Amino acid sequence: MKTLISRRRLLQGGAALGLAGLPFAAPEFAFAQAGSSVTVRVDRDLQNLDPARRIGSVEGNILRATMRRLTQFAPNSFEVINDAAESMEQIDETTIEFTLKPGIMFHQGYGEMTAEDVKFSFERFNNPAEGEDPATYAADWSALERVEVTGTHSGRLILKNPAPALWLIALSDISGCIVSKRAFEELGSERMKTTVIGAGPYEMTNWAPNSSITLAANPDYLGDPPMFPEIVLLPIQEPQTAQLAFRSNEVHFTKLDSPSAAAALQREPGTEIINRDSINYVWIGMNVQKAPLDDLRVRQAIRLALDVDEILLAAWDGAVGRAHALMAPGLLGHWQDAPVHAQDLDAARALLAEAGHGSGLNLRLTLLNRPAYQTAGLVAQAQLAQVGINLELEVLDGGTYWSMGEGEAGENLELSIQRFGGKADPSFQTQWFVTGQIGSWNWQRWSSEEFDQMNAVADSTVDEAVRAETYIRMQELMDESSAYIWLTHEVNLFAVKDWLEPAILPNGDDWQYAHFAPA
Amino acid sequence: MTATLARIWGSGTGRLGLVLVVLVVLGALLAPLIAPHDPNQIAVMNRFSGPTLQNPLGTDQLGRDIFSRLLYGTRIALGVSILSILIAFVAGLLLGIAAAYLPPRLERVILIIFDIISSFPSLVLALAVVALLGPGLWKIILIVSVTLVPHFGRVARAQTLALKNSPFLEAERVLGASPARLVLVHIVPNVSGPLVVLASMDIPVVIAIEAGLSFLGVGVPPPSPSWGTLLNDGYAYLDQSIWMAVFAGLALTIATLGFTLFGEALRDAVDPKLRTEP
Repeated sequence: MKTLISRRRLLQGGAALGLAGLPFAAPEFAFAQAGSSVTVRVDRDLQNLDPARRIGSVEGNILRATMRRLTQFAPNSFEVINDAAESMEQIDETTIEFTLKPGIMFHQGYGEMTAEDVKFSFERFNNPAEGEDPATYAADWSALERVEVTGTHSGRLILKNPAPALWLIALSDISGCIVSKRAFEELGSERMKTTVIGAGPYEMTNWAPNSSITLAANPDYLGDPPMFPEIVLLPIQEPQTAQLAFRSNEVHFTKLDSPSAAAALQREPGTEIINRDSINYVWIGMNVQKAPLDDLRVRQAIRLALDVDEILLAAWDGAVGRAHALMAPGLLGHWQDAPVHAQDLDAARALLAEAGHGSGLNLRLTLLNRPAYQTAGLVAQAQLAQVGINLELEVLDGGTYWSMGEGEAGENLELSIQRFGGKADPSFQTQWFVTGQIGSWNWQRWSSEEFDQMNAVADSTVDEAVRAETYIRMQELMDESSAYIWLTHEVNLFAVKDWLEPAILPNGDDWQYAHFAPA
Repeated sequence: MTATLARIWGSGTGRLGLVLVVLVVLGALLAPLIAPHDPNQIAVMNRFSGPTLQNPLGTDQLGRDIFSRLLYGTRIALGVSILSILIAFVAGLLLGIAAAYLPPRLERVILIIFDIISSFPSLVLALAVVALLGPGLWKIILIVSVTLVPHFGRVARAQTLALKNSPFLEAERVLGASPARLVLVHIVPNVSGPLVVLASMDIPVVIAIEAGLSFLGVGVPPPSPSWGTLLNDGYAYLDQSIWMAVFAGLALTIATLGFTLFGEALRDAVDPKLRTEP
């Protein structure tokens, strides 16, 4: 029998084959449609990828994409949803039970994720291994007493006290990342500063120091694959260079440091500008342990000599609101009635004379080499000169600047312009100002027993009204110290190519690369 | 001197160089008289202003007058250049003459030191030293001086070697002149001529190094109006105003071009091989 294949039949057969094969090709199709990779500008290179000792959001954002937590934040929000956990249940105020999804595999053949990995990951914050430094983010897990393993995939978190912030600050965020116990034991904690063995949707496949960091989609990821097969991070410190890189399409997504930069890029074709409120905080701090700043009158005089509104106008084009306290509006514990310290040069001079510095004073202001901070420093320098304070500016690059709180450098710091990122729970904001952070992130070296006690109380109180009241009292204590001159909570501005839909958590610093999608 | 100046004036590029150098030097000397404002006086409400009668070259991100800052910046650029080159000139001259007269082993030690210093690019060495000791005007002057010493030292040594066995020095020696007299009265004046030409050629290089360090934020500390700092500010705020970058760049161009043309014309004027008139 002869089989004749006509042209029509051939086309019909081809179409049928194509339709039949479509489901198998679907994931590849998604990648192809979205483009091969997204390039994101980060403002510095990575320094420490250990979740317990990370430096900031650069590392945090990499870990968020490459690791899994029991719970995570839904895209663009602080809503908590399950991640590696199949189920999570708060049994009582101090007990949380979890069950892991079976079959979650760590990168590079480090095996399946088990409850033992969860126990190791969380307990190491407060019990560092021999030879390890104390965890920078130990406060996130300060309420944890122990993790009990009840099965290969199940366990129980036992808390010392109720911890209302635990879900937001620890479990669902970077401190909740589940690391591979085997990888830490085999590779050592030193190596883990620059290596990620996670189980997240992306895998860090390449790090060229000061050049690029590559995150490639994890083929073994248990869950919906990311929309882009590759995210490349380019460390570009200089904001102007970042803008040029964005204009030349070398970078597809970047945070902007000023409203004027946003206005300039707004005119670029194919560009979207994203503007979000911020809960970050920028301030001028004074080291209360270093003479002459150990004299309250000198600190009060400096606060009275500065005109914060003029600093904001010059450094941020007047496009950001003035901060009056640590907590941004909208946060639990926001101090609505915080005092607004206005410039009063006569009162400042009188206080300086009373403190024995009527003939003048030499001080140093340490700051990061960003145009906004440098401008703020120059304005502060000119303002303080009016009351006889000769302010020397010490402008540092990111690598040097961020280690200034440690050791002898920290003891010798005088004034500094600082900027920290905020999180959804106020306990994250207050933790850096406790006595235990001196020598690490408490650059003002201000120590108040009352503040420390209240911080511990607020951490373990479930009643929101009591917590809010406690945080306001803590901010009053900070104000009385005069060691903090609050500048702004900033605004979050981003430039993004119009084909890209980034995923940004409400604080603006935390990005979810795994949820970046085609627009 | 007059003849040398006349020879410089006689060449087109030399004349342009001389005019530019005189302008820059006058700007530096007369800055307090010419500048319409205090270079560090901020006026935030008037920032990023374009050129106006009140601010001839506009204002910067803090409302400071760009013209006044450029004028005072001339003092920093020339001050750093002249002081650095003077120190390097004297040190290079002394070490070069010493190397020519000392025993071969000591001469070798001096030359090795010259080689070691020369092996570091001056900007990289300056960055390393500033990273260790922190920024500051005197530190920059010292760093630049050290990097220039071998430059002068080698020429001084070569000139001294060529001179020390010349017949007129031999005659002096036979007549009983002391070694100190030979060096001070004959060697130093004869060696200094070529070094002066070298010095004039080095001024633009030092201006560029100082501006480069200040541009990178490791040079003259703020609020001193270094041209490099002004350029950096101009770059950072290019979106808001082009005037800072344009005028700071122009000032740097005028100064380096002027000194380069002047240096080349001076070299040609004092080099007998290039002289055409009797």
